Amino acid sequence: METLDLARLQFALTAGAHFLFVALTLGLATLVALMQTRATLTGSAVHLRMTRFWGRLYVINYAMGIVTGLVMEFQFGLAWNGLTHFAGNVCGASLAMETLVAFFVESTFLGLWIFGWDRLNRWAHLGVLWVVTLTAYASAYWIMVSNGFLQNPVGAEVVGGVLRLTDAAAVLANPAALTAFGHILCGALLVAGFFVAGVSAHHLRKGTGEQEFFRRSLRIGVFTALPALMATAALGGAQFDTAQPMKIAVYAGRTEEVARLQAEMVAAHGPGDYVPPAGLVQGSGTAMMIIFALMLGVAWLSALLALFPWAVRRLRIWHVVLTAMIPLPFAAMLAGWVFREVGRQPWAVYGLLTTEDALSDLSPGAIRFSLAAFTLLFGLLVVVNTWLLARNARQGPADTAVTPTAAEPLPAPVF
Amino acid sequence: MEITLLAFFAVGYFVLAGADLGVGALLPYLGRSDDERGRVLASITPFFLGNEVWLIASAGILVGAFPVLEGELLSGMYVPFVMLLLGWMVRDAGIWLRGRVDRAGWRGGCDGAVATGSWTVVLSWGFILPGMGQESVTGLAAVIIVPAVAALFCAHGLAFAGLRLDGGPRERARRFYGASSERTVYALTSGGMALVCLLAGSRLPLTENLADPATLALLTPSLLVITPVLVASQVWLWRVFGRAPVRSQ
Repeated sequence: METLDLARLQFALTAGAHFLFVALTLGLATLVALMQTRATLTGSAVHLRMTRFWGRLYVINYAMGIVTGLVMEFQFGLAWNGLTHFAGNVCGASLAMETLVAFFVESTFLGLWIFGWDRLNRWAHLGVLWVVTLTAYASAYWIMVSNGFLQNPVGAEVVGGVLRLTDAAAVLANPAALTAFGHILCGALLVAGFFVAGVSAHHLRKGTGEQEFFRRSLRIGVFTALPALMATAALGGAQFDTAQPMKIAVYAGRTEEVARLQAEMVAAHGPGDYVPPAGLVQGSGTAMMIIFALMLGVAWLSALLALFPWAVRRLRIWHVVLTAMIPLPFAAMLAGWVFREVGRQPWAVYGLLTTEDALSDLSPGAIRFSLAAFTLLFGLLVVVNTWLLARNARQGPADTAVTPTAAEPLPAPVF
Repeated sequence: MEITLLAFFAVGYFVLAGADLGVGALLPYLGRSDDERGRVLASITPFFLGNEVWLIASAGILVGAFPVLEGELLSGMYVPFVMLLLGWMVRDAGIWLRGRVDRAGWRGGCDGAVATGSWTVVLSWGFILPGMGQESVTGLAAVIIVPAVAALFCAHGLAFAGLRLDGGPRERARRFYGASSERTVYALTSGGMALVCLLAGSRLPLTENLADPATLALLTPSLLVITPVLVASQVWLWRVFGRAPVRSQ
């Protein structure tokens, strides 16, 4: 493979691995914050235990999200300095805002939440988790502003070979950023909804000693998943209006339209192949749609069944299906990303900068080394994270210490 | 103004995270038993996440206010920066995962990851810092500078360990202090960290590489408004967890 392909593969793996964790983190943070709000407002013991149990799974997953996020932050400068050179005046600023407004605050407050259980007043501790949740949303927003600009460059003009910002409001309210941002937030809630429902169903099926705890959790999961799925689909559909015509034409297999757009591109940008790889675009788009249909059926059925206490208690076949559903929203998320990003090729900034021109001047040896090392490490982290999540989820809430006990000043971290 | 902001966050990183990197690198020396290493790590766990984001913020300011320079700097020293990231990931994974499984072998593996990862980060900085503005150092300069930078990180880690720990780990950290108090040593090593960071940064062609005025007109005021909030949140973190040292049971 050429350096360009290797660098693209490295970016895809970094973003993909990071996004697997982020999808669950974003959604689960919201659900845990709501559980803690209820616990704090009403003093409900079961909601406090739910906050601790689901919060522990959230923290395990968050840790891996942040570790892969570190690589993500440096990826542009490392392998794509053509992009920072050309579009830095626009994308650089939104990435900067993401690091300071979101990443920095989120990390500091997450530390306060994890270790602050017995050290902060319960209202302050609740407020801290809401700050973590909202800054996680802010992080997604700023990233989508950058990505939306690459998809649909608005509010800037090319002067002397580089982009200059002309209309910040257009960049911040770019429809390609806003609809995708909403799509991802709802998708993350969908991931978390199916995760909570699936883990709860496992416990109900096994008849572990925490029936009430998991009956409530299962309902929370199911009644989150259905509206989240509908909103995700609506916001996904809305993106077809702002998507590049070429992406849609290739996805729909309209050969004449593709040929016409290719001719237009050649006329505007000179000779070249402006058609994204059809197999990947159609495959990922179709995968997303099939998984959507599956989730739609299960989500509606589950919302109905969850209204019947006997079903929640004893309908084992439904429990099995719910647990088996856990990986599907993750797969749909990744397929959606492949569709969005591969469908934009060969452009890094649509119509302005090709992916090839965005690449740093790297030696093939350097990129091979980093690709191998990152792949190995990401693979290991995904495996360890999945194993730990499954292990902690199976153990149940019995001895859920999100944090150390109050008796010790600052004991070994069992967060 | 942008340069001051960048310097502020970069110095913040080297002073704060420099200490927990030093502690991580010296983990096998400071903690001789499983329990001791647990306590040594407990001295940094509430803070390391809040510390490392100072570098994330520095990178953010670099890409926002000096985008061309950020790309040239990172891709120009591709391998050292990739090593830095790999070490950082391994070390953080070790810290996060250590308490997750109650087995001595698991904890030992995580301790190993923390120490190896911390050394990788510290040594990568040894190559990157003197090379700011051009390429990473090689030859004789590398033989002198890289160990010197690593030694500074270790000294800073020892100073922090002396302040935050007690018992055996504290005695092992104190061995290097001579007659000075923990606070004096920590102030000195912090000053050293800040100085190295500023010296390295002063060699970057920053003024020539500022982003377009239209971008900075929006970005810089936003950064100036948010910075006091960030500092306040960190002060809160240190006030909540920084008072009592980590004691043996």
